[in-house]
Amino acid sequence: MRPHRGFAVLAVAASLAATAACTATGSSGTGDVTLSLWSWRPEDTAAYRQIFAAFEKSHPGIKVDFKAYKSTEYNTVLSTGLTQSGGPDVMQLRAYGGLQPLIEAGELVALDGKVAGLSNFETTSLEGARGKKDSKVYGVPLEMSTFQIYYNKDLFSRYGVQPPVTWEQMLTGARTLLDNNVTPFATAGKDTWLLPLYDDTFAATRYGGPAFEKKVLAGQATFTDPDFVAALDVLNQLKPYFPKDMMGLGETEAQTLFATGKAAMIPEGSFALGPLQAINPELELGVFNAPPAPGAVVTKPLQVGWVDASYGLNAKSGHQKEALELLQWMTTTEFGQLVADTLKQVSLVKGVQPGDPLLGQMVQAYRSNPTPYLMLVNFRYGTPLGSDLQAAGLQKMLLGQQNPTQVAGDIQAGVSQWFKPQ
Amino acid sequence: MRWRIAVWFVLPAFLLYTLFTVYPLLSALANSFWRWQGTARGEFAGADNFTSLFTTFPLNQQLWPALWHTMAFFAGTMLVQNTVGLLIAVLLVELPVARRLLRTVYTVPYLIGGLVVGYLWSLLLSPVFGPVNASLRAVGLDSLARAWLGDPATALPVVILVNAWQYLGFPILLFGAALAGLAPEYTEAAKVDGANARQRFLRVTLPLLLPAIGVVSILTFIGSMNTFELVYSLEGAQGNQPTGPGGATDVLGLIFYRVAFQEGGSNAIGQSSALAVLLFAATFAVAVVANWLIRRREITLT
Amino acid sequence: MRWGRFAGYAMLWAYAAVALAPIVVMLLNSLRPNTEVLSEPLRLPATLDFSSYATAWSEASFSSYVRNSLVVTISAVALDVAVSLPAAYVLGRYRLRAGGMLTAYFLAGLMLPVRLGILPVFYLLGTLNLVDSRLGLVLVYASSGVPFSVFIMAAFFRGLPRELQDAARIDGAGELRIFSRVMVPLVKPAIATVVVFRFVPLWNDFFFPLVLMRTTGRYTLPVGLTQFFGEFQTNWSALFAGLVIAALPLIVLFVVATKQIVEGLTAGMGR
Repeated sequence: MRPHRGFAVLAVAASLAATAACTATGSSGTGDVTLSLWSWRPEDTAAYRQIFAAFEKSHPGIKVDFKAYKSTEYNTVLSTGLTQSGGPDVMQLRAYGGLQPLIEAGELVALDGKVAGLSNFETTSLEGARGKKDSKVYGVPLEMSTFQIYYNKDLFSRYGVQPPVTWEQMLTGARTLLDNNVTPFATAGKDTWLLPLYDDTFAATRYGGPAFEKKVLAGQATFTDPDFVAALDVLNQLKPYFPKDMMGLGETEAQTLFATGKAAMIPEGSFALGPLQAINPELELGVFNAPPAPGAVVTKPLQVGWVDASYGLNAKSGHQKEALELLQWMTTTEFGQLVADTLKQVSLVKGVQPGDPLLGQMVQAYRSNPTPYLMLVNFRYGTPLGSDLQAAGLQKMLLGQQNPTQVAGDIQAGVSQWFKPQ
Repeated sequence: MRWRIAVWFVLPAFLLYTLFTVYPLLSALANSFWRWQGTARGEFAGADNFTSLFTTFPLNQQLWPALWHTMAFFAGTMLVQNTVGLLIAVLLVELPVARRLLRTVYTVPYLIGGLVVGYLWSLLLSPVFGPVNASLRAVGLDSLARAWLGDPATALPVVILVNAWQYLGFPILLFGAALAGLAPEYTEAAKVDGANARQRFLRVTLPLLLPAIGVVSILTFIGSMNTFELVYSLEGAQGNQPTGPGGATDVLGLIFYRVAFQEGGSNAIGQSSALAVLLFAATFAVAVVANWLIRRREITLT
Repeated sequence: MRWGRFAGYAMLWAYAAVALAPIVVMLLNSLRPNTEVLSEPLRLPATLDFSSYATAWSEASFSSYVRNSLVVTISAVALDVAVSLPAAYVLGRYRLRAGGMLTAYFLAGLMLPVRLGILPVFYLLGTLNLVDSRLGLVLVYASSGVPFSVFIMAAFFRGLPRELQDAARIDGAGELRIFSRVMVPLVKPAIATVVVFRFVPLWNDFFFPLVLMRTTGRYTLPVGLTQFFGEFQTNWSALFAGLVIAALPLIVLFVVATKQIVEGLTAGMGR
């Protein structure tokens, strides 16, 4: 009997589906263990390939498959990925509040006693990867980030502008640049997560930095405190020196503005050093911290910094032993130095030399006059996140839709739903 | 046909559709009535997940603007995409030269897909590096060049226009097909009666097109309620914050996505399922009522 | 009257320019070096520079994204058509006791926002061990297409003259034979319509693979594209090239199949 056409169609579909299934579960076939490792830094893909090549050389039999997701999609992918098979073995973890839901759901392995190299870090460096409830360490700290103002040395000398010591000098310099059709600060309002960092960078001195942090955590102050409100308003006063189109600019567009010489300064993270140099390798860069803002509570410049990413171990991973080996390697100076030199980031492993003198300068500034990324470090332990509230509020403020008092009120209203002072 | 054979004809489609489409949606309905702790189901929550949507700050303040934006998106799309689509479809019937080529050209943006269209336009509309502002400046319209997607006044209209740009081919094809299905006798008769082109269109063609317009409207409504990719790729996802400058382009589809995946609340499954149920109920109710109205109208016409 | 025609044509061609201009800009900018794209967003390429395509194709594994998209989309549409065709035949041509309810059951799916069931879909595939598998994506996609396919094809079957199958039956043909030999060939335009109208949204879908797929080697084009935008964010020339690669296959499909689509749609609306 000749097959019916209807069944022929079915057969084709079935065989296609079968091919899809087969290719989906294919394995490498060699005896190697392949660890899958997830990150939110697609821009670092090439650098990580180099780094893990070094690991694979010294650890035969283990391969690392590096996968990066866009930062803005990473949480989605990770939160669903960890609940099922097919997730990563080792993955980059957000710091502080960001990793608590994963810990509470039992999706991470506590590393105390399992990764001996954790002693290569200062105790404070491990804070970002600690469980809030059980105080155990769940991640090997990758790097710390600092946030400051980069400036273009050529543009500064061309227009006779100096890295400022006082707020007034900073504004005078900005006006000079503006008169010469150079945007003073390349800021991006479309990527709103940057806005709270801008506020800490320019105005931590105004609300008092670490001292204010202590008071809020102890319940002696709230975000409606006049000093905090005034600090929000500092960004309003700087608005004339930001790009007119700021709210339409994303982070990379701001970086490109700065790197191509259309803007003279950019408030950016230590993690942006690599990307900035990649856009324009000839760029002569310097960094400084904003001078104390008018009415500042703290009268010296502060350096914003925080422990950012760490690498943790998936409790469901089928390669616990190999994954721990990789994590142990991440505590060595070999890895730390690769982070400094290849990723151009600030490694937290003791004894690692900064890969770039600018990074050295940032770390030095942080050691002398640190101030936290307030919202990330302390106010991501519940929803709504403090950083989200501040970001959304600052955007509305810069668009002229809300005044600083309203923004502060919204932050307080949101955070107080879950935050209990101690 | 024998009942037993009929079963075998229908069964594969029935199973596939039930298992991967109906079951998940029923599941979402069930999930909305329970409290969740991550992926573990807790106690029965009654309507708590629903009420919490309207009482949790800042979600409660994001919901209404998002509903408003979604409705504005629907209205704007009807106004721009469907009227222009109808106009072009009518012109295409009247003007035969290169009809097929034009129809193909109009449909090309639809083929590209929401994400690509969003990315493409976000590059085109970039305030500093984008060709749109560059061409405005090139012709001396510097004052018009602006941060299209970063200005609360223009962001939503731009999203609507980009969406219309993408989907215009759809109403053109649908209306074109409907126009082709109309019996020419009606317009011929009107012509004989001495009606001019505009009168013929308004008095004869338009009423006959009402069913097609109804179908397009319902599809537009369903599409508007589900809008996600385009805004997501045009404005970028911002963690758990309203999308667009000052939240100007935040729509319901994005709120669902945020509650389900971005917010990181432990009861994400319960709360997002409740939102899904509400969205679905609203979409379904409007679609059913609209469909009923169209049917009624059809009957009175014929 | 003549002025009216002139204005009409002017309008049609003006809109054609609006529809195509962004695509032309995308194409042109993908052929220029990045520094030039950033400094002068709007200019013709001085020389054709295909290096951005090389970057996208090899460095960013677009080759594997295209392959995955083809496998997943074609399989899903084939499966969808294969199961919907017999169902539509029965529902369109026969009066069954439960027929009305079944039809309504399928048609309800036209309005179901499948996306809202993403979490249960995810856990369902998890229990079937189909997360991060192309087969899982195929099943979800095929399933989501069933209502539309049944709707369109049943309408076609309904419109075929009754005598056809009576004649075949008198010839002694069995139901399967009548279906596959007589009826299916007659609804080819409907099949073409379904294929094209399902192909486009599945090819472009971003949401399901974003949540369901894990391995870069199994990514479909849209998810690969977001990855690409993350990694090459300052290389606009490459970004434009990636967009062209993502858009091209569908444009080709449409140009090849315009006739089927328009005819299929017209026939579908006529009923």
